[in-house]
Amino acid sequence: MNRREFLGGAAALAASTLAEQSAAMMPASNRVNLAIIGPGSRGQQLMRTFLRVPGVRFAALCDIYEPRWDQARKITGESTRAFKDYRELLSAKDIDAIIVSTPLSLHSEHVIAALDSGHHVYGEKSMALTVPECGQMRAAVKKSGKHYQIGLQYHYAPWYREAMRLITSGKVGQVTQIYAYWHRNNSWRRPVPNNDPKLERLFNWRLYREFSGGLVAELGSHHINFANEVFGGIPESVVGSGGVDFWKDGRETADNVQVTYRYPGGKTLFFSAITTNRFEGCQVQVCGTGGSIVLTEADGTYYYEPKTGASAVPEGLAVEHGVVTGASYRAELPYRGQGQPLKVPEGTQGNPDFLACNSFVDSVRNNQPTKADEEVAWNCGVTVALGNYAIDHDARVKFSDHVRG
Amino acid sequence: MPLGSNTRNRVSSLALLCFAFLVSDAARGQLSGLQLFSESRPAMGTTFTIYLYSSSRPTADAAFEAAFDEIERIEEALSNYREGSELSRINRLAGREKVTTDPEVFNLLQTSFDYSRKSDGAFDISVGPLMRAWGFFRKNGKYPTRAELERARSRTGWTKMNLDSQQRTVSFAVPGMELDMGGIGKGYAVDRVIDLLREAGVKSALVDAGSSTLYALGAPPGKDGWKVVVPRPGDRTHAISEVLLRDNSLSTSGSYEKFFRLNGRTYCHIMDPRTGEPVQGMLQTTVIAPTGTATDALSTTMFVMGPAAGEKLLESMPNTSAIWITSDTKKPHIEQWRWPGRFCPADDGCEATGEENSKQ
Repeated sequence: MNRREFLGGAAALAASTLAEQSAAMMPASNRVNLAIIGPGSRGQQLMRTFLRVPGVRFAALCDIYEPRWDQARKITGESTRAFKDYRELLSAKDIDAIIVSTPLSLHSEHVIAALDSGHHVYGEKSMALTVPECGQMRAAVKKSGKHYQIGLQYHYAPWYREAMRLITSGKVGQVTQIYAYWHRNNSWRRPVPNNDPKLERLFNWRLYREFSGGLVAELGSHHINFANEVFGGIPESVVGSGGVDFWKDGRETADNVQVTYRYPGGKTLFFSAITTNRFEGCQVQVCGTGGSIVLTEADGTYYYEPKTGASAVPEGLAVEHGVVTGASYRAELPYRGQGQPLKVPEGTQGNPDFLACNSFVDSVRNNQPTKADEEVAWNCGVTVALGNYAIDHDARVKFSDHVRG
Repeated sequence: MPLGSNTRNRVSSLALLCFAFLVSDAARGQLSGLQLFSESRPAMGTTFTIYLYSSSRPTADAAFEAAFDEIERIEEALSNYREGSELSRINRLAGREKVTTDPEVFNLLQTSFDYSRKSDGAFDISVGPLMRAWGFFRKNGKYPTRAELERARSRTGWTKMNLDSQQRTVSFAVPGMELDMGGIGKGYAVDRVIDLLREAGVKSALVDAGSSTLYALGAPPGKDGWKVVVPRPGDRTHAISEVLLRDNSLSTSGSYEKFFRLNGRTYCHIMDPRTGEPVQGMLQTTVIAPTGTATDALSTTMFVMGPAAGEKLLESMPNTSAIWITSDTKKPHIEQWRWPGRFCPADDGCEATGEENSKQ
């Protein structure tokens, strides 16, 4: 049975039924040994989260910046083996799965090497920096027969799953547009120890194009993944804009981006990320003909659609009495009614990071397919990469010119 | 959240005043060319303020971002107001089964238990049900019915919790128990921020968690330390003491901001876990210790234990000191233990010459 058959097609995207109880009840003796390549800030958070899953242990870690070793060992609480060269880590015999949490430009090299050495992989998002690399990674997963999960944790968020259930059931009518924002008001810059210029690109790799896909990749990938799921696949085209317009501090990736993706049937995702105002924060607005859903990092809310309905009118009212003329204007104010919080089904609550990590360990332990698998990752990865391509080339980019599904 | 408000009301209006004394030329030279920057943001149910000396605004901004991200990370782990937090997951499941958690959260639970053990239960992170029964969870308090109180007592008590360090698991002996890190979480967050600032190369900073827990990293240029003014309970215009902090922490707990009165008695929101009732007769405690985690936990502990028992506990803890203020606000009675600061005249207190640091 190959991996695609094993996945069972669309079932891989079905709503999460994972309950955190199952994690708590797992016998700790059922050990899963993990290793991590790149325990930086995100990697360290993943380590903490994986260590909340019963039976998980970190057997090794790898980072070219040695001060990270002790930081990571503080998290594991033991003198975990550490390597500077990831190839030495991959040759270790006692590791079940590898977490790849390195800069985006290194994902393909590290993930493919980890798969080729016989390990399952949890790889941070986005999948890879370029479209060809995404393709190579997808092929490598299929060839290896190992499990791969992309670090899109909101794919496991209970309120996102509930939103998908409502959308699929027709609760919001036909979804025609998604407006998504990740607006911050900060420099998106990390402190560099003692301002050492030699460490600038290591700590602030997100700001440099050789390593990073910038705001579209690091922030937008979560929203883009959700839009791909709602609209059933990748877009047909994208236009984009952005630039280094405010934080002129030597960075190369844009400090504000706006991308508009067109999906089949004219459905649209607009994504904006800025670093100078946080009024919108992080949210996804799903616009349907019969209602709206707003998703945040913590919850979801359903809003009924306040459009004026066409209803039958007695003739006596409008025809015999006549209609009154006069100056008229009715402001189309934003809807300000109260929404209805999305109720997460009992037993499915939980932190998205934990649910994602727990689900991956479950896949490794029980040889089950992952939900955010290489197909989900590829869809999101190429959508991100071509969004950046559109920004860079200031052009409408057709997906069919660059990818073959 | 708020992390702090369940266990005590952390003197956000106490106006702990922070500034510094002039002293050595050597220190001034060491840190020359630096500017003071500060930033405040809401977190953990209060406002965190960070002061730091930096060579430039961008460098300071990067440090602030990383610091507030770290506070957010810890709140996401320890909040009992967020459904997705690690603590909420433990609270949901530990009454039914052993819950594995990560070493950081487990170690903080173990640290909390150590304070419970050393204080014979005066410090207790399981007071959540009592706080709810007395109406102090998001509210201003009420007198519970006998049934409510008995029910809450049956679900409270650190000895009813089991920590397995081999498996890194936590479980409750009684269903319905609820951990609340409000008495230690902000101090822990302060410590982690200090670690982060040190790693970033910051030599002088003051991290202020709602003015109830502070940590002074180094000293301002040319000064011997960061000056903190401890005001009278409920009166931020008059100081009781001034003290210099340098590479150590200070926390204050007070009873005068969240309370209710009934039949002539005042019931504050700081619980004595041993009796199941609010502490009586204590207005304010302030503790100095090497870490924010320690001062945060100990200021509540000293509030509950009082000076006589409290001093015995502090004897076993190096580099700790404390003041207790009892009686009423008109004639506060002060007890102190190894207090390093100077006390202000009783009539009008010390001169309040610093920048007021309170945010509420």
